[in-house]
Amino acid sequence: MTHAVLTHAAVAVDPLLELHAHPECGGLALFVGTVRDHHEGRSVRHLAYTAHEPLAEKVIRDVEQATRDRYGVPYVRIVHRLGDLSIGDIAIVCVVRAPHRAEAFDACRYAVDAVKHGAPIWKEEFYTDGTSAFVEGCCIRDDLDDQLAPHAHHHPPHASHG
Amino acid sequence: MTSIVFELFANLERLAGRHECTVEVDDTVTTVGDAVTRLAVAHPALAASLERCACVSGDTIVRRADALPADGRIALLPPVAGG
Repeated sequence: MTHAVLTHAAVAVDPLLELHAHPECGGLALFVGTVRDHHEGRSVRHLAYTAHEPLAEKVIRDVEQATRDRYGVPYVRIVHRLGDLSIGDIAIVCVVRAPHRAEAFDACRYAVDAVKHGAPIWKEEFYTDGTSAFVEGCCIRDDLDDQLAPHAHHHPPHASHG
Repeated sequence: MTSIVFELFANLERLAGRHECTVEVDDTVTTVGDAVTRLAVAHPALAASLERCACVSGDTIVRRADALPADGRIALLPPVAGG
């Protein structure tokens, strides 16, 4: 459990695949999220990811374990990039090895969604017009229900975008 | 008086123009929520963004009703958008 789940350097996909391990597995699902050049109609030049690293590491490791347990798959590996990224750079990689394809696909989608909704990582987009903005995200407070907040579980519609 | 150090992230850090904000509190402030309320008073520019922030001590999310962390440090995490 000492592998890095956050990195400030470019992410290499190959070392994460473990293709020659797990002989009981006949499936490998891979998701690679890359930086795209537009967001909600605006032209994006580059972006920066920042994190609360101690909690983000813990959340991502917890997601890896929860995914293994939930889908009964032996290998789940997630790496999220931090720092300044250009268009096309890899932002997140998720690899799942599984006996069969169905649980590989399902587990991979579950793990990526869980990281996007739960890990304290922020995306600041820098647009071609010279402005910048943090992308609106998911609230990770777990005690909002205790308050009289009328919009306690607001999830923006674009939260599931890759 | 005790010093509470808030660590700010993302748009909160931009709004404050710095990574940390220190608030001096008296002994009527006993919970995380009390301290967040004092921060909102001391830094009105942050007030509207605080409700949707999670509070973290070390690597653990703490609730507004929890006692102040012993080290007096609270990280404020706005809504997240990784991936």
